[in-house]
Amino acid sequence: MDELELLKKDWQKDDANYPKLTFDEIYKMLLKKSSSIVKWIFIISILEFIFWALISYMLKDADYNKKFQEYQADNIMFSIMVFGYLIIIYFLVRFFMNYRTISVTDNAKILMENILKTRRTVKQYVAVNLGFIIISAFVVLSIQFNRDQQMVSIIDNAAANGELLKFYSITIIVTLVVLGVTVGVLLLFYYLIYGILLKRLNNNYKELKKLEV
Amino acid sequence: MTKDKEQHFVALLEKHQNIIHKVCRLYTYDYDSHNDLFQEITIQLWRAYPKFRGDSKFSTWMYRVGLNTAITLYRKSKRRIKTQDFSDIQFKISAEEYDDTEEQQLKLLYNAVRQLNDIEKALVFLYLENKNYREISETMGISEVNARVKMNRIKTKLRTILNP
Repeated sequence: MDELELLKKDWQKDDANYPKLTFDEIYKMLLKKSSSIVKWIFIISILEFIFWALISYMLKDADYNKKFQEYQADNIMFSIMVFGYLIIIYFLVRFFMNYRTISVTDNAKILMENILKTRRTVKQYVAVNLGFIIISAFVVLSIQFNRDQQMVSIIDNAAANGELLKFYSITIIVTLVVLGVTVGVLLLFYYLIYGILLKRLNNNYKELKKLEV
Repeated sequence: MTKDKEQHFVALLEKHQNIIHKVCRLYTYDYDSHNDLFQEITIQLWRAYPKFRGDSKFSTWMYRVGLNTAITLYRKSKRRIKTQDFSDIQFKISAEEYDDTEEQQLKLLYNAVRQLNDIEKALVFLYLENKNYREISETMGISEVNARVKMNRIKTKLRTILNP
């Protein structure tokens, strides 16, 4: 006899052996809080939005802006700021639209796809923010090279000593290293959080996709 | 009205609770996580209940939500200390009903099923629940042909686990 048939026969006949929860016991469960990954993904994603909004807010704090007014580059900073807000709005809208499509009553594959899609939106948001920070850093640096009085005099000095190339390369390398370390730490953090949170979902999704080949 | 709806839902769940217990039986290994998963499925069912349309059977709908919770939404409980093996206490097969060989064989079979991955378990679960391939394919989101092929592969895999 087929092994699974034997199992099926047994599986269907031992109904009486399952625990019987009472009406009240089940009723109490309705009041409990869910601990599903969707809930965690939602919380973490919202935290990420807040975190990045704070970062870009801090980068635009008053002192900084004043300095840029000195450089007469505040219109550039203003465009960067508007662009930053547009990015947040765009991704928040997409995030909520994707989040709302997650439904436990869809079939397993669609459910997994919708969860992964929601996550991907946040991932893209973070990637755009990182890109944004890197570009901003270089824009700021080039403005400083040209317009910051202190910087201009340092550059002039360096040029007089014949160390202009050295000065530029050191500044750029230091900036790159700082950016690299920041991005690296963030990526590691993401890798850990989502590695833990989404490992099972990713594995199961891959397994389902494999069936299609 | 809401109260009525709640009462009605709980009554339905009470009646069909075995479906959830069965899902928990396949996906958890101890008493605490069985309860954890049971509770999570109940919460997910209750949340999805407003969207439940009477045109599908409550039990059919439960299979889908139950499995989705087990293979996608549920985060395995942190409690790793094994208390008591739930299946051993709760699902003891009474010796009088079976001869020893069959009992032994069943035990091995259940152990083999536990070694399958989440998706394979889901297919086995629906199969054991006597669902046809159309229902299996609709619940999992794969084609009927692929469901059949996978089921055959699972049977082979189980055989390999049983007779290494």
